[in-house]
Amino acid sequence: MADDEEPPMAVQIQSDFSFGKNLSVEESSDTVSVGVTVITGYLGAGKSTLVNYILNGKHGKKIAVILNEFGEEIGVERAMINEGEGGALVEEWVELANGCICCTVKHSLVQALEQLVQRKDRLDHILLETTGLANPAPLASILWLDDQLESEVKLDCIVTVVDAKNLRFQLNERRDSSSFPEAFNQIAFADTIIMNKVDLISQEESDELEKEIHSINSLASVIRSVRCQVDLSNILDCQAYDSTHVSRLESLLEANKSLTTTDLHDTGVRTLCISEPHPINLDKVRLWLEEILWDKKLDMDVYRCKAVLSIQNSDQMHILQAVKEIYEIVPARKWSEEESRTNKIVFIGHKLDEEALKTGLRDCRP
Amino acid sequence: MAGESDASNIATLLCARCEKPAHLQCPKCMDLKLPREAASFCTQECFKAAWSSHKSVHVKSLAVPGDENSDLISQGWLYCVKKGQARTAKLPHFDWTGPLKQYPISTKRFVPAEIEKPDWAIDGTPKIEPNSDLQHVFEIKTPEQIQRMRETCRIAREVLDAAARVIRPGVTTDEIDRVVHEATIARGGYPSPLNYYFFPKSCCTSVNEVICHGIPDARKLEDGDIVNVDVTVCYKGCHGDLNETYFVGNVDEASLQLVKCTYECLEKAIAIVKPGVRFREIGEIVNRHATMSGLSVVRSYCGHGIGDLFHCAPNIPHYARNKAVGVMKAGQTFTIEPMINAGSWRDRTWPDGWAAVTADGKRSAQFEHTLLVTETGVEVLTARLPSSPPVFPWMLK
Repeated sequence: MADDEEPPMAVQIQSDFSFGKNLSVEESSDTVSVGVTVITGYLGAGKSTLVNYILNGKHGKKIAVILNEFGEEIGVERAMINEGEGGALVEEWVELANGCICCTVKHSLVQALEQLVQRKDRLDHILLETTGLANPAPLASILWLDDQLESEVKLDCIVTVVDAKNLRFQLNERRDSSSFPEAFNQIAFADTIIMNKVDLISQEESDELEKEIHSINSLASVIRSVRCQVDLSNILDCQAYDSTHVSRLESLLEANKSLTTTDLHDTGVRTLCISEPHPINLDKVRLWLEEILWDKKLDMDVYRCKAVLSIQNSDQMHILQAVKEIYEIVPARKWSEEESRTNKIVFIGHKLDEEALKTGLRDCRP
Repeated sequence: MAGESDASNIATLLCARCEKPAHLQCPKCMDLKLPREAASFCTQECFKAAWSSHKSVHVKSLAVPGDENSDLISQGWLYCVKKGQARTAKLPHFDWTGPLKQYPISTKRFVPAEIEKPDWAIDGTPKIEPNSDLQHVFEIKTPEQIQRMRETCRIAREVLDAAARVIRPGVTTDEIDRVVHEATIARGGYPSPLNYYFFPKSCCTSVNEVICHGIPDARKLEDGDIVNVDVTVCYKGCHGDLNETYFVGNVDEASLQLVKCTYECLEKAIAIVKPGVRFREIGEIVNRHATMSGLSVVRSYCGHGIGDLFHCAPNIPHYARNKAVGVMKAGQTFTIEPMINAGSWRDRTWPDGWAAVTADGKRSAQFEHTLLVTETGVEVLTARLPSSPPVFPWMLK
């Protein structure tokens, strides 16, 4: 106890997150959440190449990569963390609570990610690498948390890596199959699609392939790459699920671009965009959406939905987002004077019935 | 954004010695994760001057506890750790958020062979429940299922009432657990929480700042405490789940108002239940009433579907602006169980892996019913009986 005779040097008070978390209980919603990017893609498409590229890149960000065997019953997952610029990779185990899901609103995966964030004194981003056959839908549903939970993690975007050389084969091989190809799901749910290995095909083939990808999902941004060398701003901090971050959706209002696609593969997975110039009634549009998303009344399977809505008696532009059954409509900002107020809804899904959707939206007029 | 809030946060910390705004903190307290309030100092000089008295907080936090409970520990009572999967003789280290700490728990209670048991009773792991379609599909119960639910829920109510009758200062929560355990078995039921994901006891007892999932232990209830008892009974293959928060002796006015408001939150939420109502509306109702009284709604725990499974779809948050999926339909059974806090809504979990406590150590209350949606509205399956003890002053009028 001799060293207790003299006080040590006191240190600067700082809101170090992992430390403050335990002690300060202020109510303010100042939690800076760490973005989670989900990376999907067929085996061999280049997911690992992308992950290694990000981990070793000179971006100064501290990034954790979680190799997710989601759906396979194991209690722990491996996390690789780069300790800063050019630093060594550190491996950690993330414990997935074999947990009582009972009456908790957060899935054990979310709890595990939160614990990872708390353990690290600083973490800038989390990459969740899924297995090749993963359907991103359950992951997206689990990670798209209510803002009210003020979680330390936040779904940032879904990135799908496709193999430019093999994608067409992968899309076509199931054309006649009744089972649903993961390749379509992975493209349909993506916010960003990395068309990897474009050096192995011609310029024309690349253009054609991009068209095919957009025929499934015309909202996603497609990036061509060789060995997954991409600008990281396309993958990190996209805020694709953030309704307050509407710049992406506002591009919907640039009316000229047609987002509706025709189904090139007879699988019925495509993008459909419908619009309605008259303001609509909020209650009616909720009921209509719930019939489609919850009751499956029209027998359509909507994977993703994004929209800008012009609501009756409101000067606020409203934003709609949906992932499978989960949806929210929130006011985003005031319409400006110059803007022509309109409703524009983009559906990505299976067996979308354009006429029924158009009629349904029209019926949402007051 | 972060910078701003950091600044305002730090500005509230005052020097533990002279109460000037503090800019420095004791590094040893940081290592020990001790509260910042007692560890903040304006200058190195003030820190130095305070050192001889300040350093005692480090020793206190390291002191091996258990003195007061050493008798119990020698009799086989131990502290629960690892979510119920392990025990220890030493009080786990934790920056307890309020006056309460973990106490040792008794050994496992016996369930007679003739009682029909759910699949977690033996090895602690539910197998049917997590893999069931009913985690996604909202089940409409058959008339036969509904009849069984009524029976089970009535038993659960009788069991909770038995617990309510023994609550008074000096009684341990372990004793409440014994009453619940025996009353359940006497009626041919299995206490659903027992060994559910290794939960070590037959009910949850949540005292004062414990929000929910408190493990019954050796602590004696004290005059002025509030205690929630959460009972679930498994009988004839289905579950009935309810809880109430009781007063121990004479409680202060603030606790009385907290418990009363929580009771009203549940009442108001039940009042809107009928076919066609969105599950997400429940959170709006609960939040509105709690906020009006200056109280906050716990967000990490929610109501749930119930029936042949203890917990299943739907998920019913009690906070506002949630994205809960689905509308109510006749024949569905689920719980509503708002947890309302006197201070912050934020929760933390004790080292036992179960007890959720308020992050600021202020009190929390909860009420719960199992409900059936009917063609015209709702049937409260766990409703109070004429024989239920009239423990709430607002019901006497």
